[in-house]
Amino acid sequence: MPKKYSIAGSAAPPRFQPVGKFVIERNEDECIHCGRCTLVCLHDVHKRRGDDPRFISEPVNYLCKGCFRCIQECPKEALTIKNNEEWLLLGDSYWTPETFGKIWYQAETGSIPVSGTGYTGPFSGEGFDSMWTDMSEIVRPTRDGIHGREYISTSVYIGRKAQMLTFDNKGKIKSPLPPTLSIPIPLIFDIIPFRFSKNVYESLVKAASFLGTFMIIDLDEWFNSKYQANLVPFFANLSKKMNQKLMFPEFEGVIKKCKMVEIAYDLEVLKVVEEIKRLKNEMIVSVRIPFGDSTNKIVEELAFAGVEVLHLCADVNGKVISSSDKNRFVKDGILDAHRLLVEHKIRDEVTLMLSGGIAMAEHVAKAIICGADVTAVDLPLLIALECRYCKRCQNGLSCPVELKALNSDYGAQRIINLMRAWRNQLLEVLGAMGLRDVRRLRGEVGRAILHEDIRHETFEKILRSEGVTNNIKSSN
Amino acid sequence: MCAAICPSGVHERKTGHNRVSKPRSYLCIGKECENNPLYCIDHCPRKALSIVQNQNYTSIGDSRWTREFILGTWKQAETGLPLQGLKYEIGSSGGGFDGLLFKFQKEGRTEAIEESAINTELELNKRDGRKISIKVPFYGGGMSFGSVGLKVMLARAKAAKAWGTFTCTGEGGYPDALKPYDDNMITQVATGLFGVSEDSIQRVKIVEFKYAQGAKPGLGGHLLGDKVTSEVARMREAVAGSSLFSPFPFHSVYSVEDHKKHVDWIREINPDALISVKVSTPSDIDMVAVGSYYAGAHIIHLDGSYGGTGAAPDIAKKNIAMPIEYAIPKVHEFLKEEGIRDKITVIASGGIRTAYDAAKAIALGSDGVVIGTSDLVALGCVRCGCCESNRGCPRGIATTDPELSEVISVEWGAQRLINLYAAWRSTLISILKQLGMQSITELVGRYDCLMNSEHTKGKDD
Ligand code: SF4
Ligand code: SF4
Ligand code: SF4
Repeated sequence: MPKKYSIAGSAAPPRFQPVGKFVIERNEDECIHCGRCTLVCLHDVHKRRGDDPRFISEPVNYLCKGCFRCIQECPKEALTIKNNEEWLLLGDSYWTPETFGKIWYQAETGSIPVSGTGYTGPFSGEGFDSMWTDMSEIVRPTRDGIHGREYISTSVYIGRKAQMLTFDNKGKIKSPLPPTLSIPIPLIFDIIPFRFSKNVYESLVKAASFLGTFMIIDLDEWFNSKYQANLVPFFANLSKKMNQKLMFPEFEGVIKKCKMVEIAYDLEVLKVVEEIKRLKNEMIVSVRIPFGDSTNKIVEELAFAGVEVLHLCADVNGKVISSSDKNRFVKDGILDAHRLLVEHKIRDEVTLMLSGGIAMAEHVAKAIICGADVTAVDLPLLIALECRYCKRCQNGLSCPVELKALNSDYGAQRIINLMRAWRNQLLEVLGAMGLRDVRRLRGEVGRAILHEDIRHETFEKILRSEGVTNNIKSSN
Repeated sequence: MCAAICPSGVHERKTGHNRVSKPRSYLCIGKECENNPLYCIDHCPRKALSIVQNQNYTSIGDSRWTREFILGTWKQAETGLPLQGLKYEIGSSGGGFDGLLFKFQKEGRTEAIEESAINTELELNKRDGRKISIKVPFYGGGMSFGSVGLKVMLARAKAAKAWGTFTCTGEGGYPDALKPYDDNMITQVATGLFGVSEDSIQRVKIVEFKYAQGAKPGLGGHLLGDKVTSEVARMREAVAGSSLFSPFPFHSVYSVEDHKKHVDWIREINPDALISVKVSTPSDIDMVAVGSYYAGAHIIHLDGSYGGTGAAPDIAKKNIAMPIEYAIPKVHEFLKEEGIRDKITVIASGGIRTAYDAAKAIALGSDGVVIGTSDLVALGCVRCGCCESNRGCPRGIATTDPELSEVISVEWGAQRLINLYAAWRSTLISILKQLGMQSITELVGRYDCLMNSEHTKGKDD
């Protein structure tokens, strides 16, 4: 059994007041500073002023849970509550305000989000929200990993698996083992969508190194640091440069230093792979393929040619790039690729990595169920650093959370906290399904409840029996 | 003037005061009042009153429990009268119960049925042995001492007794104060075996095995350390301040045979008790249901993933196991195929918010439902979701903290629940009447009474 892996968290409170869901307004003309609100609020929103305790200070809005208690108890009806406009404007339809709130909470505390009185969101949605994961009971056992009574492994391998072992007559392994890397969580850090100052990259790579995973990084951002062992340099346009004999002198140096590289897909990608393997045979090469209509063809071609890691990437919202069907979601894309490789009986010779749209812990589990070996995250890492995804930095404007001034140790801690919470949630999903190893989750579509299927099996069957196709407009 | 006419008591002149007190706006019923001859705005001689929607209210509710659902439940708990209107029938979660409407008959037979002749009674035992029926096709779900306070338990027990139905102790022991309500209590035997004793099992008519709960399927119960006060710990025979995990699964149950041993053990202690098996909704829920029947269960209680009252990880509530709306017909159909549907009672829970949801669940194939969150909302819960810590509940519900519990009283709580149940029963009766049915048992599995309310058919929304 491998050494028990666990991630230690430690509180990392936000540097800026996060955007909260509610705004509490105190009408200063009405308020008599009686302090009732400071007593009734269970979440420390209302406090007396430190410098002058005769007065009540501005409400700390982001802590408010919207329980209405202070509103009702204030003797002067001086308080009102409303939805925070700024909250509603956070992110977009995929990166919802709730997602931000949850990531911030996890990055601060390292704990998994827990709440009472049931689920509050929509019945189902698109993409990852159109499936549920299974659980075991009575007729098959579950695992209790959450409370640490049984160890559940979350580690995965990157690289090719040996199809079989051959032994010499002394019982030693004879067949050469293909190069593999092992990471303790099925997550690596992807290229982040915006360009940043060095301290941000440093936060990321410190976290990656602490966790024992890798971080893919644009070659331009490749920097000499003591964390190089955890970096995976990404090369774009490598084949063009090779054809024009423009190979830059550092190329060999970079190759020598790292265990894994990633290159962008193009028609001559195999030549590049060959060149890299010539320089360093035990190098793990990943090819970054944008999800699109021809993904399956590419996957087939590269897998048969012996490329060990195929990184399929969707856009930041998990939608496929360059496809005739704009709404195709990455989970369906990975499912197709996985099934194709299974059909060809070469599934275990490649590692499938998925990125794009991984916003919450459950997405990791669901991507794996749909056939990914590893997932790569991007935006949540930034959000953990308090980024609001306002894209001001992309337009040369100032960053509301001043990421330039971020201390990289603190930043790393926030990311570690987030990953800790994600891993623990993955353990919950695995435990509920009765699995003790995340690798057994891969491609277990039979243990997923797909919305289309279950609806077809139940609602559609029974509602159709009457030929009901009424399109009654509902009131929502 | 206004003080004299407002039928809802918004305006008031305290005895001995010259000036009218501040309007108690929360009592105002709003614009709906406009057509009322007593509308204060029309009557003020100096046009000094105006009415606006209180902006505070815009921040209540979410897509599952909409503002209308919460306010509507409060209103029913206050008045005991049913509510009408589409906004009370479907929420805005876009699927499941919110995607279904009743297909009421336009004319015909419905007039012929007297409301007083409509029967909402449900027999829970379809096997041999002692019959136990409930007057309304719903009962209260398990909420343990510790996760909620004693006052809430007592209020629920009183309401259950008043309506001839049951409520459940959950997994946290059986406080002695509940003794007078033994005939209306279900006690739970769950994985942690907290507070389970021979005595507690002999006291009740129904014993519930909790294998899993919908909100945290496969994860077991969980009472965070903060809520384990010394009182709670004594009841559970545990140590104060330490989190109590009710481990998952029953480590002695890995098959239907093991499960049968458990059932036999209970029957040994209390041969007359009905056995209810509470499970959540995995993909093989149909097999689980059949297995439970063969192990000797009288009731199979399906707990879907979207409901739940206590603290649960968000990831589990949203993602693990299927919503109850799909589990019910799956189980109903499978039990029919196996020829045992009429030998076991199917109860559904986990996301039953209103009487309409209850009726829809029954039409989808369950015999009755179990409610939890609606009870809490009736007691004033605003669903702020902070139930995980002992000093987190502003309404004094999900807490045993003496100071916070001050907020509610047992009598008040019981009356609110009695009112809510009355409103639910009236709603069910009116649904049955409009469907031309005499008894709630006729509605079971009548898919043909339901129709799709989704905007776009065949698309996820
Ligand atoms: S309860 Fe009302 S009046 Fe008293 S301090 Fe708070 S806001 Fe002011
Ligand atoms: S609404 Fe509740 S949580 Fe928010 S400030 Fe008032 S008392 Fe505190
Ligand atoms: S400017 Fe906005 S998008 Fe850019 S890093 Fe700052 S918060 Fe994030």
